[in-house]
Amino acid sequence: MTASPGVPSQVEPLPPEAYTRMSLVLRAGLLVALVILAAGVIAYLVVNPAADSSSVIGHNPILEYLGLVALGQGLASGSVVAYLTLGLIALVATPVLRVLSGLYYFRRGGEREMTAVTFTVFVLLLVGILVVGPLVR
Amino acid sequence: MVIPLLVILFSVATPIAIGAGFVTILATSSATGSAYVRDRLSDLRIGMFLEIATVPGALIGATVTVFLTHANLASLLLIALGAVLLATIPGAIARRHIELPPPKAQDARSQRLGFRGEYYDEALEQNVEYQGARTNPALGVMFGAGVVSGMFGIGAGVFKVFALERFLNLPMKVSTATSNFMIGVTAAAGTGVMFSAGYVNPVIAAPVAIGTAAGAFLGSRLLPGLRNQTVRLVFMPVVAILAIEVILRGLGYG
Repeated sequence: MTASPGVPSQVEPLPPEAYTRMSLVLRAGLLVALVILAAGVIAYLVVNPAADSSSVIGHNPILEYLGLVALGQGLASGSVVAYLTLGLIALVATPVLRVLSGLYYFRRGGEREMTAVTFTVFVLLLVGILVVGPLVR
Repeated sequence: MVIPLLVILFSVATPIAIGAGFVTILATSSATGSAYVRDRLSDLRIGMFLEIATVPGALIGATVTVFLTHANLASLLLIALGAVLLATIPGAIARRHIELPPPKAQDARSQRLGFRGEYYDEALEQNVEYQGARTNPALGVMFGAGVVSGMFGIGAGVFKVFALERFLNLPMKVSTATSNFMIGVTAAAGTGVMFSAGYVNPVIAAPVAIGTAAGAFLGSRLLPGLRNQTVRLVFMPVVAILAIEVILRGLGYG
């Protein structure tokens, strides 16, 4: 089934605030992530003034902070790598929050099909992060 | 571009470079995406709908990369990626002089889900209206784009823009902005897998993320004022260089 070009759709456009808020979510998430990452990079250079590329490349410290408990302990002890990891988590969380924001607006507009699609995307993201990654580790 | 540079210049292991590539995409997408969304260039409805294909694709792609890393078979896939990228160029050049796509009939799903919109084109100095068309083939290409993105830690924007332009019949600028908007969620899926699998090194990824976010902010300020043909002319050589680079890497010359 097709419709002629120019025929108005039955679906209302998303409200202008959806664009504003979603843009804000992306900007705020990125800003938080970049501030943590920048502070972490500066702290890393201060703590490890003699670090060269071979020492950075030769050791991947993320393996020490993959669990929430380990990350929490690392943050509490002031580990620079734990803070860098937190910054990266904030970076990954930003588009996930954007999906949640979309879910809110589609649900509020009573758009069942788009709500279901967005919810499915959200669940898939969680499955990827929480299930698939640890499974293939 | 970041992945070959990390591998060639800094001798970073390929999966770690791919992990950093994902972080780069996340930073770029959030930086450019926020501006495109604010300026209403990204079509939120179409972008979110197509993510249902790119996200599972990225999960599968990243999982395949983890397994291929263990099996030392990634070089063959790099050659295939380069070939596919090169194959997209002739079609894009053929449409190089089309500023806006001719109108097409909406399919049932596009109409039902309200895939239509408008934006003000600063270069053309006019309001441009558009509407979505063939969603099924677009979903298929988007799934493939997700797999490619997940496997190689790249945005696969070439494929996304291709699907948005060719099948959904969106104007170039809306395609580019919507592709950027989608890339972040696709990358989040791939990053989740690579992160949990231990292939993201924060000490390498952090400075790369900061640098690319700064560059992306600058790029997003330039795009709204450029003509589509200009965007395309900049886009094509980048794709060609990227394709040759990954083929060379696959052949062991990179």
